[in-house]
Amino acid sequence: MASGTHRADERRFLDERGSNAALAPNGLNPATIMEKAVRERIVDSYFWKEQCFGVNEADIVDRVVDHVSFVGGTYGVTQKPTPFLCLAFKLLQLAPDDAILEEYLRFGGDKFKYLRALACFYVRLTRRADAVYKILEPFLEDKRKLRRKGRAGTSLTYVDQFVDDLLTKDRVCATSLWQMPKREMLEDLELLEPRVSPLGDIEDLLEDDDDVEMNGGANGDAGAESDDEEGLIKEEDSDRGRRRSTSGSSRRGDSTLRDRDRSRYDMEVDRSDDSDGDRR
Amino acid sequence: MSEKKGSAYGTPATDTSFRRTYDLDEYAAKAKDRETQEKEESKARYEAKLAGKKYYKPMTGDETHTRARRDVIDLEANVGKVTLVPAGAGTGKRGRGAGFYCGACDLTFKDNMQWVEHVNSMQHLRNIGETGEVKKASAEDVHRRIAELWERVQERKKENTTTLKERLEMREEEAAKEREARRIKRQEELAKKKAEKEAAEKVKVEYGEDVRIEGEHDEDDMMAAMGITGFGTSKKK
Repeated sequence: MASGTHRADERRFLDERGSNAALAPNGLNPATIMEKAVRERIVDSYFWKEQCFGVNEADIVDRVVDHVSFVGGTYGVTQKPTPFLCLAFKLLQLAPDDAILEEYLRFGGDKFKYLRALACFYVRLTRRADAVYKILEPFLEDKRKLRRKGRAGTSLTYVDQFVDDLLTKDRVCATSLWQMPKREMLEDLELLEPRVSPLGDIEDLLEDDDDVEMNGGANGDAGAESDDEEGLIKEEDSDRGRRRSTSGSSRRGDSTLRDRDRSRYDMEVDRSDDSDGDRR
Repeated sequence: MSEKKGSAYGTPATDTSFRRTYDLDEYAAKAKDRETQEKEESKARYEAKLAGKKYYKPMTGDETHTRARRDVIDLEANVGKVTLVPAGAGTGKRGRGAGFYCGACDLTFKDNMQWVEHVNSMQHLRNIGETGEVKKASAEDVHRRIAELWERVQERKKENTTTLKERLEMREEEAAKEREARRIKRQEELAKKKAEKEAAEKVKVEYGEDVRIEGEHDEDDMMAAMGITGFGTSKKK
């Protein structure tokens, strides 16, 4: 059925009268993956009309290299769609197959990080859960910086942070991501192997952290067992929080432990302590 | 056309070989073709009208696939230019007016959004001779394209690299230029101030003819009283 051509404009793609388009591998209709409001904004924008007309899978790479310098959904008062979002919508229309996505992610993604971000976004939108985890998890090691523009303005993010958002958050870049079953469920269903993190085994990490914390001295004993002792620790929390604030900046390295403990301290400790300055 | 070389008034032309001669048969054949085509088209239009449908020109066989745009549309080519435009020209099909003009469709647009929408429209694509279809690209095409773009990016980076020495020189040149510009500006300002001062003084001294200050034109008054007006004006220069 491969006709070898696409239509240059999006009218046929968005035509709702019949089931003219093929469904995405995860069963969703690609034309409705993005919400109607967002679709309208994209299709009415100048960038879409000028640069995304008559574009095929190879021209997408051209456009990414020339025009995409940040990731984002819509920004500004008028909810202007970003070139990133317009190209993602174009990918939804083109429906590239897995071989082309491989090219985008690996060969192209090594050289052009925004191409990788775009392809990851597309994979998250249209592929099945096990395929998404399998494809996206290697990119949790990619440390390159990305610029992100949102309603709150421009901020700095990283490729691995972006991929993590795709895997965990509900709404990224003005699109509601379809709900994926958690990794544990897929592991139980034997569709996926349990994840081996490149950081090493989490048990080992926690043990190391424990030792370092114990020997660190004045900061009190925030050991891994203190989970069970939460009720008892409450009176000491304010002290610990205050002490943490003075030396918090020197202990950036112990991220895993601090994340868990910080969430408890947040509730107790005064916000003016500013001990969580490094947390966004 | 009874006699080629004899005219109706009796004075024949001597040599008319410089005039163009037309091959009548060829043009007759052309006219016949055109007429048959027009007849077919009018028939098709009539049939479409009867059936209640719109008539579309049939596609010729040699239309090209649409390709993606290479550059950004240039919107600033005519900014600031003053052109004479026929009085009846305006938007739409009234001929070439002010704004973006499409030659293939004979349409003018006043807005860049309308312009880009037109350039993407099926009407325009057909007039240009393109179908509205885009060729799919295979994985190898994508691979090749990524490699090309990477080369281009690398080359551009290479051209832009400057050594420390070059950068220092560029910085010095820029600083010198800035200094010059500032000096010139200062001089201009001083000159302006001077000119203003002088103009103010002049205004004080030059007054109208009916304003007379005592003692200024006494000699002239005396001479006028005697009847001698003399040449030139009594205005102080």
